[in-house]
Amino acid sequence: MKTVAFCTIALAILFSVLPLQAQNMESNNNLILLPVNNDPTIAFRIWFKVGSQNDPVGKEGLAALTADMLSDGSTQKNSYEQIISKLYPLAAGYNASCSKEMTVFSGRTHKDNLSEYYSLFTDAILTPAFKQEDLDRIKSQTLNYLENSLRYASDEELGKAVLYQELFTGTGYAHVDAGLIASVKSITLDDIRKFYKEYYTKDNLVIGLGGGYDATLVKTLQNDLGALPSGTPKAPAPPVPNTPKGVRVTLVEKEAASTAISMGFPMDIVRGSREWYALAIANSWLGEHRNSSSHLYQVIRERRGLNYGDYSYIENYPNGGQRQLPPQNVGRRKQIFEIWIRPVPNEARHFALRAALREFKNLVDNGMTESEFDLTKNFLRKYVLHYAETTMDRLGYAIDDAYYGMSTGHLETYRKMMNELTLADVNAAIKKHWQYDNMQVAIITKDAQSFKDALVSDAPSPMKYATEKAQSILDEDKEISAFPLHIKPENIRIVPVADLFLK
Amino acid sequence: MAENIFPYKAQKETLPNGLKVIMIPMETPGIVAYYSVVRTGSRDEVEPGKSGFAHFFEHMMFRGTKTYPGAVYDSIVTSIGANANAYTSDDITAFHLNFAKEDLERVIEIESDRFQHLSYAKPAFQTEAGAVYGEYRKSITQPFSLLNEKMQNVAYDVHTYKHTTIGFEADIKAMPEAYDYSKTFFQRFYRPENVVIVICGDIDPATTMAWVKKSYGGWEKGYVAPKVTPEPPQTAERTGDVTYPGKSLPIIDIAYKGDALDPNNRDFVAALLLGDLAFGENSDLYKKLVIQEQKVQFISPSIPPNRDTPLFEIYSMVKTPEDINYVRDEVYKTLESFKTTPVDAARLEGLKKRNKYDFLMGLDTPDHVAGGLARFVAITGDIDVVDQLYKTSDTITAQDVMNAAKKYFVPERRTVVVLKGAK
Repeated sequence: MKTVAFCTIALAILFSVLPLQAQNMESNNNLILLPVNNDPTIAFRIWFKVGSQNDPVGKEGLAALTADMLSDGSTQKNSYEQIISKLYPLAAGYNASCSKEMTVFSGRTHKDNLSEYYSLFTDAILTPAFKQEDLDRIKSQTLNYLENSLRYASDEELGKAVLYQELFTGTGYAHVDAGLIASVKSITLDDIRKFYKEYYTKDNLVIGLGGGYDATLVKTLQNDLGALPSGTPKAPAPPVPNTPKGVRVTLVEKEAASTAISMGFPMDIVRGSREWYALAIANSWLGEHRNSSSHLYQVIRERRGLNYGDYSYIENYPNGGQRQLPPQNVGRRKQIFEIWIRPVPNEARHFALRAALREFKNLVDNGMTESEFDLTKNFLRKYVLHYAETTMDRLGYAIDDAYYGMSTGHLETYRKMMNELTLADVNAAIKKHWQYDNMQVAIITKDAQSFKDALVSDAPSPMKYATEKAQSILDEDKEISAFPLHIKPENIRIVPVADLFLK
Repeated sequence: MAENIFPYKAQKETLPNGLKVIMIPMETPGIVAYYSVVRTGSRDEVEPGKSGFAHFFEHMMFRGTKTYPGAVYDSIVTSIGANANAYTSDDITAFHLNFAKEDLERVIEIESDRFQHLSYAKPAFQTEAGAVYGEYRKSITQPFSLLNEKMQNVAYDVHTYKHTTIGFEADIKAMPEAYDYSKTFFQRFYRPENVVIVICGDIDPATTMAWVKKSYGGWEKGYVAPKVTPEPPQTAERTGDVTYPGKSLPIIDIAYKGDALDPNNRDFVAALLLGDLAFGENSDLYKKLVIQEQKVQFISPSIPPNRDTPLFEIYSMVKTPEDINYVRDEVYKTLESFKTTPVDAARLEGLKKRNKYDFLMGLDTPDHVAGGLARFVAITGDIDVVDQLYKTSDTITAQDVMNAAKKYFVPERRTVVVLKGAK
């Protein structure tokens, strides 16, 4: 055992300006290098330009299953059991992340174990065995997620899935990455082999390598992945969202003890443009993820204690309940503005919906104030440093920069924009990209019909508190509870939870 | 003498009021992680009807002081761009901030202030109780929340591990009425002798310590240790069932009363290894049930370090209810084989190697270092236990693993709870 290595371990340098080289591979593949010489680990991210948007109709879930077959299945050299046994002493592993437009294989190993690790990692990509028993196992996990976990174990994630489903009906963005139940059941090994052959080509990948590697590893990795077949699959056109006219509500009927709410609308902007960073300031003030200073949080949780938190987003933010900081490698050409209201008591559902929409309307109508703007941009200027504290995170952002075509990195741009943007820029971006008249709302609740009736009637929904509240809050409550939503009955549909994600 | 596994040199100092400060300088230019570890968790909730209070109090710590009311505290944290949060579990309440080094003095100022001068009115207290109930509501939809609640309730009779950290729902509902009690909670537990500050990253220890002394030096002693009733030895197997109101595959949780964290207890350290050897991803049983027979979605061990008698658990999500007993019996058979058959030496050494690399590769940011140490600090008051644990682990033999199997994994220490979906 190489015990000496433990004493010489050193950490990656954080936040210092490190060389970030991007150059084209000779084979026309892309290469992203992030050397950190004193990092004792090596990070890999191999990005294939394919995602769940590429799932054929009737085979939703194929992209994710294919990726899982590579990361959690056998190779031609080793059975899955053998792979586990070999990876285990290395304290290393690899996984695949399949989102709408990106599939990324990532892994990390200590330098001491590189030679043992490397062949396992590359074999997984280059020589998958595609065994039936692996497919059966992985499918079973996927179906358990779709049939049980997503529908019953987290109303919050369910609400977000329904929101996207409604906004992107009929497009490759509509279904969750895991797929649909009937589709997943129908997927065969032949489907997977065909999908792998089409999309896992040497012309359809970007190599990301970071940490304490040496130059020979770059060449070796390029050469080895160059063994994949040629082919440049055509990317689907960006999805055309099903933009609501008016406020449209989908109520998911479920025997739920509380009510989870997500809402949003499609936007025509992605990271990289000046206006996006202006919106990021407004969004952070309104609903910075897991941050108690943000406005929605203050109004709904801090002053009224209705729930655990309230946030807003201008980029897709999967598994928000499990993470503090934004994910990487979930890029999309079409993003939505999204508000996430964590579960509230059923009796407060109407009030909470009104409170969120009212606060959003106030922001759109009135913009931010100078002091709100100053505080938020100063916050973000430093806060974004936390987004990429590790080599693996930085590599993830570098891959995303390539995805979004950003020659100057997103995080560097972010900080630069916090110095350049003005309040006028922010308020102009709000006016241009945000509105409150057309909004899709997804609500997980019980007694959906009675909620539908209440929404249609638009009658006041007064809050009753079990404990004392300040008069200022009670006065504001009167305005919130009467805030008009103008929802037409034909814009409300009720869906039983058991009917979701079937086919 | 074996090398210490922890690769950084820590500097420690204890103030006259009992506050311990552990500083770990790291080559991480510009970034500091600051953890205030309160050695109190749901374990310390000894009064009936007050389960969940340690966690509730974690929330109250963000409500501010006269000098820095909650909104002012929030605006300071916002202005410095800190990544700040807190968490509570059975043995710990931890408050943590990750920020730029130029803000360290400011952070020490606001953190020391709220730990000494927390001040909140009754309406704010009652409003926060609503947020805590909201946290309960968002979590209880998960099958594991119900399963763990049931397991702890069945496995323990008198020890406070009988309830989960979030607490019994009835107690959470009653929280708004406990304003006066909350004041005593602060006075008893938020005291310097019961708190350890861990500061990692780009710091100058001498300057840091001067700031700490200035800000925390006036904090008065007064910790009152709770009278946590030890759990008497279990004498017979226990069982329980719980019905999940939604749709879920069955989950079986097989738990054994273990020993508290003690790095010099070879049985305990061997049990840590045994959990992985018998039920981890590389175990024969995992490969049999998950990969070959595909009867379960997963099987996983949990051998936690705890201040008092913990549960050593094996969880498995079973694909069909008909196989629950089969899986249970396979777990029993595996444990019996570990009592009689020495584990393969190569596998044992492979696991030790894995554990070391796993630990070291996790120390890649100040926040990960401080966060990784926090639980050990809460349980023991120090970080030395980490080196001690790995040193003992290095010496564990196949015979030690057999001894641990024989000691802990016996029917009279066992509680089995099965969760089934209602639909």
